[in-house]
Amino acid sequence: MSTVQPAQEEAPQKTSSWLQRIWRNYMLRRVAAALFKIWIVITLTFFIVRLMPTNPIDAYVNELMDQYGFSYEEAKDQAAALFNIDLDSSLWDQYVQYMANLLHGDLGTSYRSKGTPVIKMIAKFLPWTLFSVGVSLLISFTLGILLGMIMAYRRESLLDHTLSALASIFSAIPNYLVGMMILVFLGVQWKIFPITKMRGSMSPGMKPAFTWAFIKDIFYHALLPILTYVLTTIGTWMLAMKSSTISTLGEDYITVAKARGLPERRIVTAYVGRNASLPLFTQLAISIGFIVGGSALIEFIFVYQGVGQLLLSSINTRDYPVMQGVFLVITIAVILANFLADFVYGWLDPRIRI
Amino acid sequence: MESLRRTFRLLTYNKVGFIGLLGVIFFVLMAFVGPYFVPLDTKTKVDKIYEPPSKTFWLGTDSEGRDIFSQIVHGGKDVLVVAFLAGIISTTIAVVLGSLSALAGGGVDGLIMALADIVLTIPQFPLLAVLAGLVKFNNVTLLAVILGVLSWPALTRAIRAQVLSLREREFVEAARALDLGTKHIILKEILPNMMSYIAINLIFAMTAAIYAQVGLVFLGLVPFSGHNWGVMLSLAWTRGAIFFKDSLWYIMSPVAAIALFQLSLISFTRLLEEIFNPRLRTSV
Amino acid sequence: MAEATQTPYTLKVENLRVSYQAERGKVKAVRDVSFTLQKGETLAFIGESGCGKTTLGLSLIRLLPTTAAIEQGKIIYHHNGEEFDIVNLSEKQLRRFRWREFAMIFQGAQNAFNPVLRIWDQFWETARAHGETNKRHLRERVEETFRLVQLDPDRVLRAYPHQLSGGMRQRVLIALGLLLKPPLVLLDEPTTALDILTQRSVIDVLRDLKSQMSFSLILISHDLSLAAELADRVATMYAGTLVEIATVWDAYYRPLHPYTAGLIRAVPTLSGERQDLVSIPGSPPDLISPPTGCAFHPRCPYATDQCRQNTPTLIEAEPNHMVACWHWDEVAADGGARMKEQVEA
Repeated sequence: MSTVQPAQEEAPQKTSSWLQRIWRNYMLRRVAAALFKIWIVITLTFFIVRLMPTNPIDAYVNELMDQYGFSYEEAKDQAAALFNIDLDSSLWDQYVQYMANLLHGDLGTSYRSKGTPVIKMIAKFLPWTLFSVGVSLLISFTLGILLGMIMAYRRESLLDHTLSALASIFSAIPNYLVGMMILVFLGVQWKIFPITKMRGSMSPGMKPAFTWAFIKDIFYHALLPILTYVLTTIGTWMLAMKSSTISTLGEDYITVAKARGLPERRIVTAYVGRNASLPLFTQLAISIGFIVGGSALIEFIFVYQGVGQLLLSSINTRDYPVMQGVFLVITIAVILANFLADFVYGWLDPRIRI
Repeated sequence: MESLRRTFRLLTYNKVGFIGLLGVIFFVLMAFVGPYFVPLDTKTKVDKIYEPPSKTFWLGTDSEGRDIFSQIVHGGKDVLVVAFLAGIISTTIAVVLGSLSALAGGGVDGLIMALADIVLTIPQFPLLAVLAGLVKFNNVTLLAVILGVLSWPALTRAIRAQVLSLREREFVEAARALDLGTKHIILKEILPNMMSYIAINLIFAMTAAIYAQVGLVFLGLVPFSGHNWGVMLSLAWTRGAIFFKDSLWYIMSPVAAIALFQLSLISFTRLLEEIFNPRLRTSV
Repeated sequence: MAEATQTPYTLKVENLRVSYQAERGKVKAVRDVSFTLQKGETLAFIGESGCGKTTLGLSLIRLLPTTAAIEQGKIIYHHNGEEFDIVNLSEKQLRRFRWREFAMIFQGAQNAFNPVLRIWDQFWETARAHGETNKRHLRERVEETFRLVQLDPDRVLRAYPHQLSGGMRQRVLIALGLLLKPPLVLLDEPTTALDILTQRSVIDVLRDLKSQMSFSLILISHDLSLAAELADRVATMYAGTLVEIATVWDAYYRPLHPYTAGLIRAVPTLSGERQDLVSIPGSPPDLISPPTGCAFHPRCPYATDQCRQNTPTLIEAEPNHMVACWHWDEVAADGGARMKEQVEA
């Protein structure tokens, strides 16, 4: 019996190549996975747009010829300039060109608002989506965790039953229907909110600045979208946290913590809360994708100038470069958000970071 | 008689689930049988715009004075058909890919899982919207196919995990010892054990399909004609109905129909869970 | 117990009764248990799983799940001339009492630590909960206890629980239990789920600790050799009741209850192989409706009509040897041979 044992008995003994070491590192693995996914999505977007039966570039060339009387050559040049693609080169060269442009942040130019770079339009709309969705997610995740824990601690009480029923109902109804109900009842029928004044992402004439008035204004305009997102996502978190808390409460380390005479507050937060919320972080990824994906509908209903609105208008006006760019940016945003969730998860759970 | 009573008792174990089942039956009957009894009211009646519910107009009238109830009855079929088709397609893909992934292992497994991961990452609704901008989804089947093709990954992962764990169990071991072949193992041993899983996920896939489908129609991205709850929503919305207090019934009828159908489906899964999983039954 | 009045005791349990509320009815897990733990003594509780020994342990420190309740009885704790009934402590008093006065080291140490906190943080929060404010001071004390359980403080304290092996985690838990030098320690199955070598080292550590620090110890185990090596006295539990309390020597060589005789079919040797409880024919009794009379009668070769009708009480049959059996004299006479035969068969 040796008196001293190494602390990490399971740690790898043999020296491994740097590649293996990177693979073992949780964070680096997530970075690699995120970059790989982004690359796949970029490639997919490129080929979907190029290979669709109604190729948007051909469609645009045709449109230019039909409506503006361009010659085929002129139309093609114009299209190439807009999409930033040399249409005479091979598909592979076009792909390389497209990737190179993307690396410079060049997503082409809109052909409805002539000459505006797509990236500029996205930069104008994206922050509002990130803001409203981010705030909602933060509220619904933390509030959901809190309520879920309360439900688990007060199991089978009237409070638990009421909250469970509400949570199930609100997570079953599509979020845009909840948005409509909010608008129709709170806005039109009972006139609690002046919905026309709340449209847009901020009041006209408001200058973005780090002032109280501005912050108040943007929250005022984002209030109804946020309310909708929160109402429709919080139920999932509540129910997940409730069941996770119940199973955590049965863990040995909770009983031991009580036997150790730790203060109840410490047990509730650092023991029950932290451990029970861990599995929820893995669900965060799917939720982020769903909310961002559904933002087009919510932003349409509340006339909120986010990237979802931009996507819709680009689809309705057949503004292909914008459409392609917005889709790409939304997807990359979701991938990065997932990465962030993974990162927080890795930071909270030492078992997966080595 | 006794077996009938037992079936009834089985169905009513979970009250919420039973109400869900009744709801699903109600909507299916309304959408498929209802149209034979309730004629669609297409006649514009300028003197009857936005009437509240009455004996003649159960749910009131729309912006052209037409009966809303008849539109609700006629507008369910497309929604239900698309949801069911999409659910079946995604479930089939998921069962095939999931079992393949688990049983083949190795490179096939890695490839399928990577693909699932990527499809799961891409936000569905924007992708559908973009696709709708590129291709015209002008018929019900095409829309269902695309919805189905995009929503298999979650179930595929679950099936893979289930097959992997079921594979280790004795009866499958026994089947393998008897050299009954992979096809037999999947069809006769693994699938029956996963029926609850598959049935519940079929319903979840249906609710996801309803979400996407009605959303696309509502935004006008899918040029559906005819009568459909999504089209009703879209019309009620674009005609500015939400700004007129009187139009409450016009906009809320399709909202309520879709919301109640979704709720019924989700509640129904609870009953399925209990029927398939006797351990969950509270009393003996 | 005669000596209870002479020598100071640490814990005196009187008529303790604990029940669980189950769907089928009330599970009478601990039925009228009384015993006294002398100061510095080690008392081992043995019995089949489900006999109520873990419930007894949990009730002593008032950590029963919400479905269970202490229905009656007293648990008198005595230390430095002060004594009080644990049953009457408020939540606040209990929190201070636990670990500082009475440390319970659980079975399944594999999962006893918060997986997301470093070992050091868990030591620090425990000490802080009991009034420690100086980290350097605590660090010195931790290093001292780590030496006792043969652990390297520098590496272990920085580690997360999952980075330690099962044996190490068990020793860390023991170190944590002794950190505040409690006068009373309860060890519940300290060696289950460990491999044989690790079990050996944990037992060695425990024995060293017992000789170096003075604390009273309650040991709950089905590992008979562990009981034989560490305990002064052995208490046998069956169907929620105490059926025999004897010195280790008496329990092994002169059991008076057929059940004890059956459990200890072969006397374990100190250096010999580990020996678990043998399984006794028949199934453990239903604690919702226990058999009438002596609960052991359906499985007992000595059973008579008297056993089926009347419940025997715990009596001092021989000096310092208590037993609850109508036929203890017969068992004494044949050395429990009839029971042992049945087990062998």
